Amino acid sequence: MTPHSPGADQIDTLYWIGFVVAAVLIVAVNGALIYALRRYRGERGAQPEEGGAGRRTQVRIGGALAIFAAAIFVLSVIYTDKAQETPATGPTGLAAADSEPLQIEATGQQWLWRYDYPNEAFSYYKLVVPVDTTVELDLVSTDVIHTWDVPELAPKRDAVPGKVNHVVFRADEEGVFDGQTATFSGQAYAAMRTEVQVVSPEAYEAFVERQKSDIQAAQDRVVGLIEEGDVP
Amino acid sequence: MSASARPEVVIDGYPRSRPRWLEIATSADHKDVGRVMIGASLGFLFIALVELLLMRLQLAVPENTLLTPVTFNRMLSLYGATAIFLFAIPLALGLFYYLVPLQIGARGTALPRLGQVGLWLYLAGATVLYSGFLFTPSEAGVNPLAPLSELAFLPNNGVDAWAAATGLATLGFVFVSIDLIATLRGLRAPGMAWRRLPVFSWAAAISSWLMLAIGAVMLAAIAMLLIDRNLDGIFFADGSGGAPLLWEHLSWIFFTGAYMLILITALGAIAEIVPVFSRRPLAGRSTVIASLAAIAAIGTLAWMQNMLTSPIGLGWMYYAMVMSLALIVPFGLVLFNLIATMVGGTLQLRAPLLFAAGAISAISIGLASEVSHSMVAVAWRLHNTVDATAATHFALVGGSVFGGFAALYYWYPKLTGRTMGETLARISFWTMAIGTLLAFVPLFLAGGDQGQVVDAYKFFSGTGVSADNLIATIGAFVLAAGILLTLVNAILSRTSGARAGHDQWGGDSLEWFTLSPPEPHNFDVLPDVRSERPMRDIREAIAHSTSPAEPAPRETQPVA
Repeated sequence: MTPHSPGADQIDTLYWIGFVVAAVLIVAVNGALIYALRRYRGERGAQPEEGGAGRRTQVRIGGALAIFAAAIFVLSVIYTDKAQETPATGPTGLAAADSEPLQIEATGQQWLWRYDYPNEAFSYYKLVVPVDTTVELDLVSTDVIHTWDVPELAPKRDAVPGKVNHVVFRADEEGVFDGQTATFSGQAYAAMRTEVQVVSPEAYEAFVERQKSDIQAAQDRVVGLIEEGDVP
Repeated sequence: MSASARPEVVIDGYPRSRPRWLEIATSADHKDVGRVMIGASLGFLFIALVELLLMRLQLAVPENTLLTPVTFNRMLSLYGATAIFLFAIPLALGLFYYLVPLQIGARGTALPRLGQVGLWLYLAGATVLYSGFLFTPSEAGVNPLAPLSELAFLPNNGVDAWAAATGLATLGFVFVSIDLIATLRGLRAPGMAWRRLPVFSWAAAISSWLMLAIGAVMLAAIAMLLIDRNLDGIFFADGSGGAPLLWEHLSWIFFTGAYMLILITALGAIAEIVPVFSRRPLAGRSTVIASLAAIAAIGTLAWMQNMLTSPIGLGWMYYAMVMSLALIVPFGLVLFNLIATMVGGTLQLRAPLLFAAGAISAISIGLASEVSHSMVAVAWRLHNTVDATAATHFALVGGSVFGGFAALYYWYPKLTGRTMGETLARISFWTMAIGTLLAFVPLFLAGGDQGQVVDAYKFFSGTGVSADNLIATIGAFVLAAGILLTLVNAILSRTSGARAGHDQWGGDSLEWFTLSPPEPHNFDVLPDVRSERPMRDIREAIAHSTSPAEPAPRETQPVA
């Protein structure tokens, strides 16, 4: 998995640190275990050795483990703090989002994501964002808990009814990134996916304008049909 | 009765001895209660396996249509409740309930009827969960997160049944724990000071207190859920004073505590087995005991480790991380001392030690992965992926299945008077070891690298996880075959196992002083405990006694 946002980049680095930490712990415990089982397989009549791990050994081992844990904690805090910083919009990004991140509301609902753009346009399933632009998603839910998760771009976050959660990312290249909802939400949970389309700022503005006028056109058509009496 | 010259005791109206099943069903003896609890929990292990295999079959190939989404979700909900509430916790408590009075030199428990009621509440909960033909089973998942579990989203009675079933079982666990606490407090044999208590009994004391704390929390949460669903409550509804996050907090306190309880039990049992089969006293005994207590306290306080993607402040996330990472110290010390006990010993690699070693290995893999899940930013990527499934299953299959089987092989002679087959045990162990690796290592790859999500009834082709999932399905079948071999071994050995002596393995704790199986009153004479290894003292006293050694008849206990 290749990260495509500064936050996702930090997460990826810490993920590999965590991977190494876990690997070291697994190898240490299992290596010692296998060594002990092979080396001290008892023959008949062999006498066990006297003595064991005394208080001093216990303190040393405990202290070493505590230092190890503290080191992991410090590393995690450093990378986590970086991962949740709000980066500034880059030079090729959307000019309008220069000082403030582009605010988009993402609403989880069984079993579809809805995205509301600043100009009152909205889209379902597909989120379109400009490249090199800081985007802040406000995650809300209208029914149950959902988790918005597009791992290549951003940290995953829960959308909980009655709360607003935030996701910040800045996509570094144009393309399509897949995401899947990551909290069990009922019958069609497995099918609840999303897609982030990263496009140029011009294409983004064209998209939201077209989306807005299309929505307005659909609205006008419905009103027109009702007024003409074509639909009850 | 014909007339006889000899004096004769005649009893009028003495009831005929009742059939064995009725005897057990009405018995408040801790051994009968414990045996039923252990047997029932192993039965539910089999049922949980069937459910797991059905789900794994559905996930063998992408976009499979073997199970409908609703059937899959019901299997998922049943599997979670069965594995945790009907297998892992009752197996731990059943072992404690059977063994603690024997280990501390007591003739019974302090509150036997309470323990009996505890057993029957657990069985009542199991009955409710599996009475699905009377209602629709829950479709709300392993942990039925509100508001999905609220009436508005799942209007049938499934979640009510889930809540009633787990609530009854949890109340039963609390009752059993109260009895264990009272027994450990009041019925220790003369000289059995707390510092001389076997590690497994310490694990029982720690786990019982832990269950009192987390069981109360879960019962409260279940009561609130039932009020919400049936009495128009608003505890977990957003707005008007309720909060969906409240359910997350309460349920995760319980599930995290239960995770710790299962591991404490397994490590406690392993700490009994390793010294006996290494012929060497446990290294760092007091450190191990203190560490187990620390795991209970710190581990449960780390419950928010499960909520690192929730809308909670960054400070809370760091708090959860501190607690989770702090667990490295006690878990590390316990594992260190278990292995340090083996180093320098003369190991006899019999079935109990084999399974204990397997448990240490699997638990270490699970806990090490859990370390990376506690690192906040890593959780933002790995939370709710199948990587988490793999981590949890390594720790809990390691604890409950490998650890539980180690305890079963070790104490089976005491439970039944017979030994389980060694050859079958070895075949079972290696099958399980290979199965566990095949079933869960691919999930680390699918979850960590490709972000496959948990609990989903299907995955899509072209997401790079097809091979991983196929291997995991094959591995689950291998694991299940291995588990079945031990269950079959346990069933067959009841009638055909080699007869066991009262002290089958040369153990150090007092349960080996009783007959196998023990008589209803456990002890003819209460031994005078003078060290933390009373059976060794008794053996030495017999060896050095000045009177010519008389071979003790089979029906009586050895006397120091």
